[in-house]
Amino acid sequence: MDRRLLKNFDWGLFCLTVILGICGIGLIYSAVNAGGTGPLSGLYLKQMFWLCIGLFLILVICSMDYRKIEKWSPFVFVFFVILLIYVHFFGMQVGGSVRWLSLGPLRLQPSEPIKIAVILVLASYYARRVKPGGINLLKLGPPVIMVAIPFCLVALQPDLGTAGTIGLIAATMTIVAKIEKKTFVSFAALIAIILPFGWFLMEPYQRTRVLMLFHPESDRLGAGYHIIQSKIAVGSGMLYGKGYLHGTQNILSFLPEQHTDFIFSVLGEEWGFIGTIVVLTLFLLLVAFGINIAANCRDAFGTLVAVGVTSMIFWQTFINIAMVLGIMPVVGMPLPLISYGGSSVITIMIGIGLLMNISMRRFVNE
Amino acid sequence: MNFIERGKKRVLKRSRRIIFMGILFSICFFIIALKAFYLQTLQEDVLSRRALKEYRRAGRSMAKRGAIYDAKMRELAVSTGVVAIGAHPKQIVKPKMTAALIAKTLKVSNSKIMGKMLSHKSFVWITRDASPDRAAVLKKAVADGLEFYPSYTRIYPNKTLAAQVIGITGLNEKALEGLEFYYDDYLKGNARKWTYIRDAIGRIYMRTEESRDGGEGKNLVLTIDGNIQYIVEQAIKKAVNRFNARSAMAIVMTPASGAILALANYPLFNPNSYNRFPREIWRNRAVTDPFEPGSTMKVFLAAAALESGKCTPETIVDCENGKYTIFDKVIHDTHPHGLLSLFEVVKYSSNIGAAKIAEIIGPKALYDTLTDCGFGEKTGIDAPGETSGMLRNYLAWQPIDNATIAFGQGISVSALQLITGVCAVANDGLLVQPRIVDRITNADGTVLKKYAPRVVRRAFSQSVARNVREMMRAVTMPDGTGPQAVPKGYTVCGKTGTAQIINSRGTYEHCDYNALFVGFSPARNPKLAVLVVVNAPQGSHYGGVVAAPAFREILRKSFNYLNIPPERQVEEKNEKKGQAGSSVGEGK
Repeated sequence: MDRRLLKNFDWGLFCLTVILGICGIGLIYSAVNAGGTGPLSGLYLKQMFWLCIGLFLILVICSMDYRKIEKWSPFVFVFFVILLIYVHFFGMQVGGSVRWLSLGPLRLQPSEPIKIAVILVLASYYARRVKPGGINLLKLGPPVIMVAIPFCLVALQPDLGTAGTIGLIAATMTIVAKIEKKTFVSFAALIAIILPFGWFLMEPYQRTRVLMLFHPESDRLGAGYHIIQSKIAVGSGMLYGKGYLHGTQNILSFLPEQHTDFIFSVLGEEWGFIGTIVVLTLFLLLVAFGINIAANCRDAFGTLVAVGVTSMIFWQTFINIAMVLGIMPVVGMPLPLISYGGSSVITIMIGIGLLMNISMRRFVNE
Repeated sequence: MNFIERGKKRVLKRSRRIIFMGILFSICFFIIALKAFYLQTLQEDVLSRRALKEYRRAGRSMAKRGAIYDAKMRELAVSTGVVAIGAHPKQIVKPKMTAALIAKTLKVSNSKIMGKMLSHKSFVWITRDASPDRAAVLKKAVADGLEFYPSYTRIYPNKTLAAQVIGITGLNEKALEGLEFYYDDYLKGNARKWTYIRDAIGRIYMRTEESRDGGEGKNLVLTIDGNIQYIVEQAIKKAVNRFNARSAMAIVMTPASGAILALANYPLFNPNSYNRFPREIWRNRAVTDPFEPGSTMKVFLAAAALESGKCTPETIVDCENGKYTIFDKVIHDTHPHGLLSLFEVVKYSSNIGAAKIAEIIGPKALYDTLTDCGFGEKTGIDAPGETSGMLRNYLAWQPIDNATIAFGQGISVSALQLITGVCAVANDGLLVQPRIVDRITNADGTVLKKYAPRVVRRAFSQSVARNVREMMRAVTMPDGTGPQAVPKGYTVCGKTGTAQIINSRGTYEHCDYNALFVGFSPARNPKLAVLVVVNAPQGSHYGGVVAAPAFREILRKSFNYLNIPPERQVEEKNEKKGQAGSSVGEGK
């Protein structure tokens, strides 16, 4: 490998990733072990294992030039779409939705890595078509189809959170890639018209979840339960928190999914507002690193991949925390690097690997 | 190649949008931070209080209930530590295996536990009273989904013995009947206050005791002697079976002190499983249920006659040969008599004679003596639901009432009132208060409260008592109405009674009878007073036939148990007949 590459290795981003991962392990340990051991007690060890795999993958990805990866992107995309189709017919059902692919002792959620595939394939497509005036409507056809296929497959699982993330990532990338003004305006208008209709397209339970944002007390033990309990947990943490492993709402399991989607409530309860702000700052730093890499990249593909990965991290973080704090309706959405889950951790780490890959080569590729 | 140049231009253009994206993302983070600030520093106390409310609960549990002992400190009712076990069916991962394990450990039916395991409730009780040992085994074996609450359960080790007196406690040792109920304030002790920390599904995570002042309940020591109680219960059971009666009751009392040594109601019931017995036999009928005393009232008529000074034991009345009309009513005697002295009226139990004596002394004298003997008022016994019986004021009496009350109709009394009145005769005219509880002790055995014998009043003079005793002694003579009441070697003062029970139509036609015998022994120095009431006997209804044998058996066995020797007079007679040898306790 080129010595200059090693010199340009992005230690800052790497350390940030490790720090967030360690925060995650600490919080998962508290979520599953505070108040006595149970069947889930070993999960923090599993998470460690996934983080190590992820770090290894980061190194592997860094060693390959991302422009080579660009050539493989269509194959990667097709591979994961096939996996999604396979899951649709033969996947494992867990809690009412079919998301899992059983691989012996491991379970894979193809809806997570498909995000990376979408980012690569979109970046690859846009990179070859960008022009100063913006991309015109006609050329937007293929990307719409490319996004629609995984979007629909994931939405059918049903996993609206992940499907929505795919859509948001694609939208962010498209806007950054620049499209013609009139196309942009007409798209914006179209969305503005469709959104109200979306309300009627939603399942009743989804509508309830949205309504619960405003009136959680109307169904304290039912639909409003998550929002109320989450707010109580975070709020009762106060400024300094109840102390690590001492969160009563955590110990007494008032919140389900504490080690996955609602892990942020454990943070808020045990570490207080101080802990919340520290972790938020870390995430903001992570996003800033990504934006910096995107801005400093000298070729379109790299920039767009960096934008895609950064927006993936951002949207997931934002939606997850907003949901825990009761700003957004409850959707299934892991907090990057912190929530328990192998597929999610690996996907984010691959994304960060791509970011570092681009970061390392920002001078080499001139 | 103009790639780079074109690239540079694109980079610049794009980076403006990238910066915009960065700003947008930062704003979003700022919104999150604001909301976190709002929740964690502005709403913190509201949300903290809600959190506290969610997981902290106050609870109370009973302290260990005091025990009830008989006079010889035998346990009649005790509380023992048990463990109540509950389950959260939804948390039990392998219900089949767990149910089998529970069933095996607690030795209960598997299917019943399985049914509870499959329940849709979030919490079910498995058992309320598992032994601590088994609960500990189960706690080790089953990791999750079960709750163990230390608790107490009430055990009556002697089962049916004195059940109606002791009473019962229900779920959570709540007092329901008898002494358990009457002395509940002493027995129950102070409630223990707990703070429970519970998780989302109600499982108890932590339990801390807040205060424990006062502690365990106090113990009762009764005057009842378990052995005599058993003798009495067996005797009345025999009488009921022999005469195919409906029920029976009996009381044994120490005349001088008012201490009740035995108080039995038959049919018996087992307080450990009281729900399997009809509710009406839980009651202590000897205290709660009034009945017409019949001829046993003649004892008090005689006392009233002598006390009035208008009669002596030798006062002669005409008994009209068994049929006497008074105010359009006809009074009958079982055996026709001619002229009888007051002494003989009692001895032969003549109703007509009693009515005539009552006419001589008048209503006021009769009423005064009856009330002085405690009729018409509660004895003040320490048992719940006592009846005061029914004795109307003499000013409200119909002319006929004076005559009928003289032989025990138109007045109702409780068994306890009757024997308490008779004790006044044994006691040289002093009416004592009957009592069941001798003392209340603390958990460590030290005496908290002692109940001493209490004289209520003098019911009649000493000489009247002596004369009435002589009359009652004659009753048990071979030619009296109750010779069957005398155990061999002892002398008995007693009175038979055969009381009609008013039927549902309010008349005495085709009615059932109460067969009674009340008395005390030995005649000169009464040690025990006994009352036997047999309800609705078949075949015979005479107190001297139905109740007297049970009376005799109670006396005989109790004297034997108490080491009270037969009287010398009788022994001498026996020796003369050459039947020496029955010299139990001679020389004591």
